[in-house]
Amino acid sequence: MTPMPPISEIWVYLSGSPLLALFLTLGAYFIGTTVYQKSNRSSLANPVLIAVILVAGVIQWIGMPYKTYFEGAQFVHFLLGTATVSLAIPIYKAMDTLKARVWILLPGLVVGSATSVISAVSLAYALKLDPALVGGLYAKSVTAPIAMGIAERLHTSPTLTAIYAVVTGILGAILGRFVLDALKIKAWWQRGFAMGLAAHGIGTSRAFSVSAEAGTYASLAMGLNGVMSAVLIPVLIQPF
Amino acid sequence: MVQGLVQLLLFQALGEVASRFMLPLMPGPVLGLVLLVAYLMVSKSIPANMGLVAQGLLDNLGLLFVPAAVGVVLYLPLLQSNWLALSLVLCLSVMVTIGTTALVLKLLAHRLEK
Repeated sequence: MTPMPPISEIWVYLSGSPLLALFLTLGAYFIGTTVYQKSNRSSLANPVLIAVILVAGVIQWIGMPYKTYFEGAQFVHFLLGTATVSLAIPIYKAMDTLKARVWILLPGLVVGSATSVISAVSLAYALKLDPALVGGLYAKSVTAPIAMGIAERLHTSPTLTAIYAVVTGILGAILGRFVLDALKIKAWWQRGFAMGLAAHGIGTSRAFSVSAEAGTYASLAMGLNGVMSAVLIPVLIQPF
Repeated sequence: MVQGLVQLLLFQALGEVASRFMLPLMPGPVLGLVLLVAYLMVSKSIPANMGLVAQGLLDNLGLLFVPAAVGVVLYLPLLQSNWLALSLVLCLSVMVTIGTTALVLKLLAHRLEK
């Protein structure tokens, strides 16, 4: 029988293979989704945020450089493109919803999409945010897989974009109803569309939890804003 | 399942080619999405296998951007020194976006649906 190798050797072997990074990513996400379900799907217990905090904490603790982690986890990352293509299916399913109100929804989409970018960038300048942090703001209202695709094309940080998108989604899901109530927006379809446009998937889940009609319009707005932003953002940021 | 994945990868590849040679500022997967919507509108049905794989990916969408988001460890010092301004920007911007969008819809609905 061969003697058991020392634990440090096993560790060196494991931390060098993609297995550890994949295990960490999936395990942390599993914990995140479990907490999210247990919290009655509260917007604050966002599974991505929980997973990111757990993984970031562990790799800092064991001293694994981010580059090494990402090399292992890139197999998960690669599927973002395929997931983006998959968003065609909910958009197609909502086509009849869109057609019924196309001349109301399209202007709302263009104005909303532009407002998200312009308000974020001008506020960032007004509040003297470090310029290195501004680029990630462009696509912050866009569903993360598309937002990161846009960020890559514009040579801004996909990491910051993903973080801002998740935080924006959570903030929108929590603050949205107060804004909508203050403005006396009563129709569920109007409330849902605004939530999906500004707060993508997280706002959409929130919209579905209050009304199916709001959820359908939120899901449509999220998909449309993904495509609209991919066209609009490169045009809008030219002057900056 | 494999069949559905192949179909999605095909549209992703078509999108990448369209991005590379025609619209370099548009991300390939977004063009793939647009092409797939067009295809579904013409064929008027969702291939069962494709629907299944797409649903699986969309149900676990959050998992897919964990690896990139963990890169936040590289930005921690910068985020710490800017957290107040950044929180204000994100809060105010999402509120302005929700409000503006809803007001445009309300205004147009009032004009067009009466």
